[in-house]
Amino acid sequence: MRTIGASLLRALASAYPLILIAVVWEAVARAGLVRPVFLPPLSTVIAQLVPLAKDGEVVAPLAISLYRTAAGLAIAVTAGVCFGLLMARIRLVRWLLDPLIAFSFPSPKIAFLPVFILWFGIDHLSKIALVAFTCVFPFIVAAYAGATTVPTNQLWAARAMGTGNLPLLWRVILPASLPSLMSGLRVGVPYALVSTFTAEMIAGGGGLGSEMMLAQRYFETPTVFVYLLIMLAAGYLIDIGVLRLREHILRWHEE
Amino acid sequence: MTAAPVTPLRMLSRLLPFVLFLVAWEAMAKSGLIDPRFLPPVEKVASALVDLGASQSFYTDLAVTFGRALGGLALGAAIGIPIGAGMAVSPAIDGFFGPLVKATYSLPKTALIPLLILWLGIGSATNIVAVMLSTLLPFVVYTYHGIAGVPRILVWSARAMGVPPRRLLWKVMLPAAQHAIFTSLRIALGFSFVIAIAAEMIAAHSGIGKLMFIYGESGSYDYMFAAVAAIVALAYVADRITVGLSNRLLRWDDIENRLG
Repeated sequence: MRTIGASLLRALASAYPLILIAVVWEAVARAGLVRPVFLPPLSTVIAQLVPLAKDGEVVAPLAISLYRTAAGLAIAVTAGVCFGLLMARIRLVRWLLDPLIAFSFPSPKIAFLPVFILWFGIDHLSKIALVAFTCVFPFIVAAYAGATTVPTNQLWAARAMGTGNLPLLWRVILPASLPSLMSGLRVGVPYALVSTFTAEMIAGGGGLGSEMMLAQRYFETPTVFVYLLIMLAAGYLIDIGVLRLREHILRWHEE
Repeated sequence: MTAAPVTPLRMLSRLLPFVLFLVAWEAMAKSGLIDPRFLPPVEKVASALVDLGASQSFYTDLAVTFGRALGGLALGAAIGIPIGAGMAVSPAIDGFFGPLVKATYSLPKTALIPLLILWLGIGSATNIVAVMLSTLLPFVVYTYHGIAGVPRILVWSARAMGVPPRRLLWKVMLPAAQHAIFTSLRIALGFSFVIAIAAEMIAAHSGIGKLMFIYGESGSYDYMFAAVAAIVALAYVADRITVGLSNRLLRWDDIENRLG
């Protein structure tokens, strides 16, 4: 009991800056130093969560945003792994794609949102396209890096034992690329979330970003903060999930 | 992806895929499979680009967006690098900022834009603060790791030779962390363009992000594609300048540490 209490106390003590900020926030807002429309007290923000959740204005937008993030990520992983592996194995593909990827890698992908809206409309599809386009580059690089680091000995050994092309890809090259792909996932997931929320803020069409902009337009500041905290929590929990997944998938791999 | 000597033939071989890309684009646009409004042919986008290049207002919009991105980036560096350095040398500073960095690391930074609009109104102030906030973390984290990773033996030898703490920071730790700081500069530069353009698309009266949406809404799709092409090219040039600058300033460093 004492050890649990002690470790809880230590956790609280190490999180003191967060608690300090929460207290200062509450005190400043309560003291009337700022107008509530600019900074409502933290307690008001938390209380606002209840009516919002009751009206279904938390779960439904969250689900829409997460659906767009997940769909875009799924496309990015699939396309990224395909392109990355093809570039690593086939010189013609590498010659063709390497300059194009090097050129578009540093570009701000959000600039393509008007193009995606033109092509796919303002509903789910343009947001999913932006997420996929933003995240595909880290996965191409990760898959390429992973596949090119497979020791040549292993490739020769598999070949000598009569492994065909497809099993070679599936049983040797892909598993060898997994560590770098999982690192790519950790980079890609936050990009995917930001792209989703941003596209929703710009183009509307439901989701957390769009609801947040609406609340801001009507000066419902506590609601803006509620959505901000939900985005923060979603990003944090998903990152923990990715780390767990990484540990689970790579349990055979010494770091 | 490796640095090989640049010969004319190699340059040509790297440019050819771009030509093929444009040919494929032109073929798609001309084939009639796609509505030409959705994918204007290359020559129309090119003439729109020439037209934009000749207009004063396009440069004004570009200058506005670049000014916001680079202004926010400079503020982010001015605040982030000292915080990261402080965290690396002082446990107390680390104890304060460490939990804050952890808690805000996964926050999608554009989520702050609606709040900033509320506080600062629509305009450059909101935009610059949004860029500053989103570039802050890369500077903090990379500077921290760069300085915390300075070989102990360097610090010990400097101390043994009687170097005072302030000189130790300027003469030993920051030079040894330069590499990490340049990496963070490159990452933050990418963020700064994304956030500046995103903030303009969300709410602004000027800037290239706003301009793109005006073209999109008025149906001038060839101009919209031209603006996107200009942004992609400029972001590439800015990235290359950062890499070139970094490799030039750090030419005393090991070759394998260089940015690609």
